[in-house]
Order: sequence, then structure tokens, then C-alpha cells
Amino acid sequence: MGKKRLITGVVATAEAVRLADVDVISSYPIRPYTGIMSELARMIADGEFDAEFVHAEGEHAQLSVVYGASAAGARTFTGSAGVGVTYAMEVYSPISGERLPVQMAIADRTLDPPGDFGSEHTDAEVCRDQCWIQGWAATPQEALDLTLLYYRIGEDANVLLPQYACQDGYFVSHITGEVDVPERAQVREFLPPYKNKHKLDIYDPQIIGAQIEPNMGPPLQYQRVLAMRNAKKVIKDAYTDYNRIFGRNYSPFVEEYMTGDADVVIFLQGAHSQTAIDVAKRLRNHGEKVGVVRLRTYRPFPTEEVRDALSKFKVVGVVDNSANFGIAGGGGDLLTEVRTALYDEGDKVKTVGFVAGLGGEAITRDEFYRMFDKLQDVAKTGKVSQNAYWVPFEL
Amino acid sequence: MDYEAEKLFEEPGMIQITTWARGVLQNKDARDVVFALANAASKEGKYVQAWENYVDLPDRVNVPVRSYAKISPKPIESRYIYENENPDVVVLTEETLVKGVSVLEDLKPGGVLIVNTKRDSKYILQFLDDTSNLGMLGCVDATGVAGYVKTLSGAEGATDASGIGAGVGAVLAGAIAKAKEIVKLDDLLDAVKNKEACKYGYENVKLMNVNNPNEAASAVKTRENKYGYDTLPFAGTVHSPKKENKGMVTGSWKTKRPVFDKDRCKGCLMCWLDCPDGAVLKTDEGFVDFDLKYCKGCGICVAVCPAGAVTMVPELDFVN
Repeated sequence: MGKKRLITGVVATAEAVRLADVDVISSYPIRPYTGIMSELARMIADGEFDAEFVHAEGEHAQLSVVYGASAAGARTFTGSAGVGVTYAMEVYSPISGERLPVQMAIADRTLDPPGDFGSEHTDAEVCRDQCWIQGWAATPQEALDLTLLYYRIGEDANVLLPQYACQDGYFVSHITGEVDVPERAQVREFLPPYKNKHKLDIYDPQIIGAQIEPNMGPPLQYQRVLAMRNAKKVIKDAYTDYNRIFGRNYSPFVEEYMTGDADVVIFLQGAHSQTAIDVAKRLRNHGEKVGVVRLRTYRPFPTEEVRDALSKFKVVGVVDNSANFGIAGGGGDLLTEVRTALYDEGDKVKTVGFVAGLGGEAITRDEFYRMFDKLQDVAKTGKVSQNAYWVPFEL
Repeated sequence: MDYEAEKLFEEPGMIQITTWARGVLQNKDARDVVFALANAASKEGKYVQAWENYVDLPDRVNVPVRSYAKISPKPIESRYIYENENPDVVVLTEETLVKGVSVLEDLKPGGVLIVNTKRDSKYILQFLDDTSNLGMLGCVDATGVAGYVKTLSGAEGATDASGIGAGVGAVLAGAIAKAKEIVKLDDLLDAVKNKEACKYGYENVKLMNVNNPNEAASAVKTRENKYGYDTLPFAGTVHSPKKENKGMVTGSWKTKRPVFDKDRCKGCLMCWLDCPDGAVLKTDEGFVDFDLKYCKGCGICVAVCPAGAVTMVPELDFVN
């Protein structure tokens, strides 16, 4: 076992980057991600960690740096938040298209209107279809673990895809938690060195990212589809090994809390799951049959696992921590994906959406209480009177 | 289900016209051929569309590029079947396109080929690779009576403010009207700027029957994507060619061929140094040779040679 430390998500992430022996880091500051780059810069300056640290002139350049470095065979790390994430948008598809397992930490932040630096999943979820592995850490411990897990998954020969290792800005990134920082030997056992078989080589020159003809597009897209499909098994195996080596008890796709005899559950991902679990526990003490199901892997979306987990309940409340204006169903993108997963279950499972915690506001315990209350109503009456509620304005 | 594609997708009475041209300097006239015919047919109450191939590279010099028209008595349902699958008429704005470019591929049985050339039909015929579906060949010296219109007006789907059919395109459209009853000559003359040139094409095209349409060989073909997800290199990575790039053979781009006079050559190797395609090769004796598989016929070697040892000769003067 490793060493227990009281650290924030940004320090936990930086520790994982150091333990993963990352070769090249590119950075550009934006809150709340800034702490991760500051911590890595400190480690390098203090001689605790040996890596190339490139301070880019913006996020687009930042992602372009790791794109090139990964193609040259380096294990790479970068990160951003909010409008920084969207500014780099152009580079995400080329990186996954060239099958380079770059890792990007997103300590998420709401998109502008100007200035709001609060946490919201919107920035990272905007990038969900760029063929990157993606999921949320809910604690500093998970932020460390997710970093190591994602290098292993993304660098697997059957996957070779980049990864967004997301954590809720401020909540996870800036609030300390107890973290078991593993031993280097444990990490070596879990994560072999990165070997890029098609890396740039001056003795065997090749073009990575050459302009292609339109009829080469579909087969290249299909190669990526297969990589995403392969990722499911690789994720499962990686979690099994991780749990064994590091003594954790993670489930790779969905995790259930107090769902044994539950009628209604709240389904969500990220930090606010911790508050939801707390509220469910308190309601359980009063005999309410409520539970929580947490999504751990967002891309690839685990359709079958979500369906199997949720089809047991009468009503599922889906909490979206993102702003999706004009979307089908009027909630967030998680609601539409859950409904797709449950489509064949027909009317058996009712779903209700909640958009909550926007702009960095905490989803309060009272808000979760009102959501559970609404779900119980639906369970009792069997009627969904509103597809989705914007909290707190509509609930 | 078990249907024959040919019958299931048939659009009776539809005529497909494909024009081949060479790059940016002839693209406008290729477009004019299909737009003149489509505009004339539209005036006659037919359903039409005219467009350029988007994948070809019309911003380059000499690269083979295509333009298309569809003309039909009924609304066109295959609007977005992007390349003409089985043209009834193929038109070449320049004669050397018969050499090394499969212009007759997927021609409809009994189809027509119109070539802008001074040369004799029989001489042209020897260069075509598969003439089994060819019903008629028409030759007309379009460049002799009109020039290529050099403008970017109307490129990339924008409005053509320069007008339709002022040059070679008008002659070729006239020749098509003679070879196949698609539109009436009067309606075509209304659609073009240079009416004399158009009339010249109609009156002077030399038509030759090649095959009896009824005997013409193969049926309609369907296209397949030539790249599989498992045959395309991983992530589309391209290994640098060590000697030659077989994925980019450009020899068919040239209209003129460099011919080398060893007696005049001083061995300065300026041509070898300046060739943009590495198509000038050094020989053991210190002279040069030309790699015609890749030579685009740009003539830079002629321009830089201080001894006049290289000359450009029309490609069709060579049978090989």
C-alpha cells in the first residue's frame, strides 16, 4: 500500500502524472485547471520530476504540442477548463484520428457568459463525440486513479485513443480529500511504458495526419468506431487489474448505491453523486426506498450496463450538470442518452430530467431532497407531468 | 430482397453528360459545356442539373477534372448521386486526355465521345483503352476557332458573372447537339455567348460510328469504395516513399512531353535541380533522362536549360 496524504484533486492529478512517468507536458492557465499545471511546474522546478514542460501560447497550441509529442513517441499530458477546452476543439479529432493516446485533464468550468469560473460539465461534454475516452472523478482519490487508469486504457494496442480525465472543477480540484498515493512499483506493474508502434522516425519517414481523399474518410472513421468498441473490454480489464494491484473496489461503468429494493433512483456522474448518496442515506433512515446510480465511464457510453442497472426501477431521475439549450427532452445530454439506453424497456421505467448545479453552484441537499420527492410522486401517480426541470427555477 | 440495381434505379430518358478538362485553365470551358446544355434543356421544359466534381482538384494546372450535367424529361431523383455513373456523352476539352485517363469508364452502351482535336478520328481511337461501349466518336477543332476562357468567375459554385459559352465550351456543346438529340440547336445558341463558335461545332464536328449500339458490350456498373477499413493504413499514416510515390502518379497530367537532345546537353543539371516532381533523373554518363510516369509536362526544364537541349513535343505525337 501507498502513502495516505490529505491533498486536493489538482495535487492528486499531478502526483499521478509524475507516477506515470509522463515525458511531455503542455500547459496554459485557466481556472480551475491552473492548479494542476502549477503543481507539475513546481515538481519539475524542485527536481522531483523529470519531464519536458512546454508553456503554450493558448489552448489550441497546447493541444497541438501534445499531438506532435505523442506522435514522436512521448507519453503526454495536458489539461484545461471551460472556454479553454472549447478553444482547442479543432485539435481533438485529429488526435483521436491519428490514434494518439494523449491525456487531457479537464477540471471543468462553465462556458462563458464572461467570467463565471464555476464548475459545470458543459465544457467537457461538448467534446464528447471526438472519440476520446471520457469519464468523471468524484474525489481527489479518483482523480489520481483515473489518470493512471486512462493511460493504461488509451495506450492499449486495441484502443489507442486519447482520454479526457474529467473532474468537477473546485469541488474535486480544490477541496482536499484523503488520498492513497501509490508506490512507484505498483504503478510500474499496472502501467507499462508507452511504446508507439507508428511513431515518427527519421530513419523511416512517414506522414501522420496527411490530407486524405474523401473516400478514405469512411474507413478511417470506421477504424475509430472499432477502437471505441474495443475500449469496453479493455476498460473492464484495466479496472480489474487496478482494483487488484491498488486495493480499490471500483466498478468500471456504473456503480449502484442502496438500490437493492429501491423504487426510485437518481442517476448522475461526477462530484455531486457524493451529495446525492448522502441524501439517499438519510431518506433510507426514514424508510424511503431510494437509491443512487452513478455513471463512471461516459465515453464509450455503456449502453447495456446502464440499461441493466436502471431497468429494475420504477422511476429514474437523471441529473445533468450541463447546459444543453434546445435539446430533445429539454433536460441535458445525459437524459437523452439514458432514455436511448432504456428505449426497449418501453413504459416500464419512467425517466425525469433535472438540470442542476450550473455555474458552479453546489447541488444542495435540499435540492436532491426535492428531486427524490418529485420522483416518488411520479412513482405513486405513474405520470410524468414534465420531462425535465431546471433546478431551482422549476423545482 | 432481390432486385437488379439497374432496373430498380432506372430513370427513363435521362441523359448524363460528363466533360473532362485539364485543371484551372480549362475548367471554365468544361463547366460551360454542361451549363450551356442544361440551360438550353431547361428552356425546353426539361429537368436539369449541372455541376463540377468536388473531389477533383480544379485549382491546379493540367490535372484531369470533370464537370457533369443530367437532363431528364422527369424530375431528377438521383440528384445527389454525385458522380455521373453511366454517361451517355463524354466530352474532352483537350485531346491528350484520351491517353492514360480512363475517360470511357462506365460509358453507357452506345455512348458518344466528343474530342477537341485537329487530328483524325482513327488516330484518336488508338489511344482509348476500352472502346467496347463506344457508339460514336466525334472530333472537332474547337481551339482552332475559339480560346479557353481563363477566369475563376463561377468556380466553387459561385455565380458566373463572365457569361456562359464564350470559348471552346461553346464549340463542344454545338458538337454534342449534332451528335445526339439532346437539345435543339436554336435553344443552345440562345444559351451561349459565342453563337458563331457554337454553330461551328455543330456544323464541323466529324462523326464516326464505332460500334453498333445494339452490339455494345457491358451493362451498367456500380461503384465501390476502393478503400477498406482494414486495407487502409492504420490511422491513415503515409510512409514516405523511398523512390517513387505510387499513390500520386501524375504522368497523365501532361499535354507535352520533354524531349532531350544529348548533343546539345552540357551536363549542368539545372533541369534536374529545378524539376518540381523529381522527374528528371541523372544518368551514369552525367546526362539526364525523364521519368514520364511522373512528369507533368510543366516545361520548367526547357525554361532553365541554357543550351536548348530540351524541347516540348505534343504528347499525342507519340503513339507510346
